[in-house]
Amino acid sequence: MKVGLRLAVLAMLAAVPAMVLAPSARAESTLDKILKEKKIRVAIDVGNPPFGVLDKDGQPDGSDVAVARQMAKDMGVELEFVQVPSTGRIPSLLAGRADVTIASISVTTDRAKAVMYCNPNGALSIVIFGPQSVAVKTPADLVGKRVGITRATLEEATVPKMAPQGTEIVWFDEIGATIQALLSGQVDVVAMTSFAGKTVADGNPDKKIETKLNVTTAYYGPIVRHDDFELRQWINTWLFINAQNGTLAAIYKKYTGLDLPPLPVF
Amino acid sequence: MNYVFQFNVVWDHFPELLTGALLTIRLSASAMALGLCLAVLCAYGKSAGPQPVRWLVSGYIELIRNTPFLVQIFIFYFSLPVIGLRLTANTAALLAMTVNLGAYASEIVRAGIEAIPHGQVEAARALGLKRLQIFRKIIIFPAVQTVYPALASQFILLMLSSSVVSTISAVELTAITNSLQSTTFRSFEFYFVATGLYLAMALAFRAGLSSIYWAVFRRGRPASR
Amino acid sequence: MGRPFGSGEFLYLLKAIPWTLLLSLGALVGGGIVGLVIAILRTAPSAPLRWLATGYIELFQGTPVLMQLFVTYYGIAVLFDIQVGAWPAVLTAFTLYSGAFLGEIWRGSIQAIPRAQWEAAACLSLSFPKQLWLVILPQAARISIPPTVGFAVQLIKTTSIAAIIGFVELTRAGQLMTNTTFKPMIVYPIVAALYFILCWPLSLLAQRLESRIDTSLGIKQHF
Repeated sequence: MKVGLRLAVLAMLAAVPAMVLAPSARAESTLDKILKEKKIRVAIDVGNPPFGVLDKDGQPDGSDVAVARQMAKDMGVELEFVQVPSTGRIPSLLAGRADVTIASISVTTDRAKAVMYCNPNGALSIVIFGPQSVAVKTPADLVGKRVGITRATLEEATVPKMAPQGTEIVWFDEIGATIQALLSGQVDVVAMTSFAGKTVADGNPDKKIETKLNVTTAYYGPIVRHDDFELRQWINTWLFINAQNGTLAAIYKKYTGLDLPPLPVF
Repeated sequence: MNYVFQFNVVWDHFPELLTGALLTIRLSASAMALGLCLAVLCAYGKSAGPQPVRWLVSGYIELIRNTPFLVQIFIFYFSLPVIGLRLTANTAALLAMTVNLGAYASEIVRAGIEAIPHGQVEAARALGLKRLQIFRKIIIFPAVQTVYPALASQFILLMLSSSVVSTISAVELTAITNSLQSTTFRSFEFYFVATGLYLAMALAFRAGLSSIYWAVFRRGRPASR
Repeated sequence: MGRPFGSGEFLYLLKAIPWTLLLSLGALVGGGIVGLVIAILRTAPSAPLRWLATGYIELFQGTPVLMQLFVTYYGIAVLFDIQVGAWPAVLTAFTLYSGAFLGEIWRGSIQAIPRAQWEAAACLSLSFPKQLWLVILPQAARISIPPTVGFAVQLIKTTSIAAIIGFVELTRAGQLMTNTTFKPMIVYPIVAALYFILCWPLSLLAQRLESRIDTSLGIKQHF
């Protein structure tokens, strides 16, 4: 029995260093991977003013880009941008090409089936706008008009429902192309965020671009994959802190000219 | 990261994909017919026309063959309106595809024309036939027959290249696939099935073009090879 | 925005050209290796191997490059559960695409080598792999140069498709510059001109090589 007791004690003593030295049984999460590799990959859309644009040196800029830069800095990791068109914002994340997408993804229940939202970091409104020469005052005026819409956006989900029968909807793969279509007269009006509308109007004063109809408003936030709870929690914590200290509001005001509305949390 | 494949979503939307395939077929067939006419015209112009015409046609061919099709359709759809020429998406797509096919096919047809033994042309001239008559009656039929396989390959390439016209909002299979995958978030499944549809169309086109060959060129003619 | 199109914007276009060339070169080299394997499989004694090679060629020559790119770009991660960046995914897609066409070029070149060469090599008691490597392939490589240069032009133009998934090469740079300057009538013709400057010399070279290197042993080239 003495031998048995000694063996048992030895076994327990051997187990202690084994427990201390053994790696965690939990599988490595995306957050762990980001911290270990000291790099976070963020998917952005640089054709989507003012959330994502290219500055005069061809570098990404915009409100979402600024948020991503501050987030990476506070996380203490290197930032790698994954530039995607509108239709690639969610697929790139799901395909593992990016760890998080910060590209004004409006909160919708349909998208929540495929991705996990973090708390919102801003709000936007979708409007229909076009040149002054096109007469649209009510949804009924859309009949017979060509409305440009970008795929994989909130306007794609909402405008076909409010546009009457007889409206011709024209689809593009990215916001930049939709804007080009409006400016070249290929479509009569387009639907996108009011911020993009302001950018287009300011950049083309001769066309006298104006908002015709309001479609909907929404909050938008960063998205992560379904099983990345740790990353989401870190991002939410970061958003909480930066909502309190005014960083988010400062970025929002800088790029949109508006005050950041109170942001709800999940 | 575990991905759960959900092909049932694709089968639910299969009728829409089929509609897209039909649109692709219609667009490609129109472009093939128009492009072939353009190619024959250019081949004639380059081989038998006066010098300025030859330079013009050569310039057109070199320009199209050394620039990407995607950039060509962007110019047709986004750039031309700036100088007042606004084409609808489907017209721009058809025009760009015709112009593109015309450049490649004209070189192929020209090779076929130059393969006609010169004795034939001389004999026709001796019989007093005019140049255009010679072209129509003696040259073009055997020329197209000789280069038919190369032309058929070019046609299939044209049909496959129609997938990029979705970027200028023209509606065909790729455009519909993009719309479906962006609303259902099942990108891989939809692209996989769409690829299968394109492959099926390529094989069908090849069989169709083969039958046209046998119907047009072989019917009633003694086997010569 | 609505910036004027100036030297900064033009420079952005120029800086994208190395990506176009790098992608084309990588796909050409990678595709050349894949193509060689496919060409050899096509002449393999075992029928399933031949069918595999034929099926590969049918697949990549019978589907749009854009679809191949989508499936590879989104498919690698979901099928093999590894996360690769945009560059490896795009390069893989174009390599597989080139492999099908270069495979046919290789096959035509190998088949153009007269039977006598094979027999002579066998007389020297070289094994089949050695025959291939020491005698046949060097000659076939020479014959395959003109159509390969022709295909290189094709490849440079085809890399423009990568713009659609957001990869920044010359065409995408053009789209982004159009988005910032709102001047498609300036940007896209310039992009076309830049491609022309890249491709036309190669086209001329291919034509010159075609006439100089004797490729007249029944190889049909469609490029």
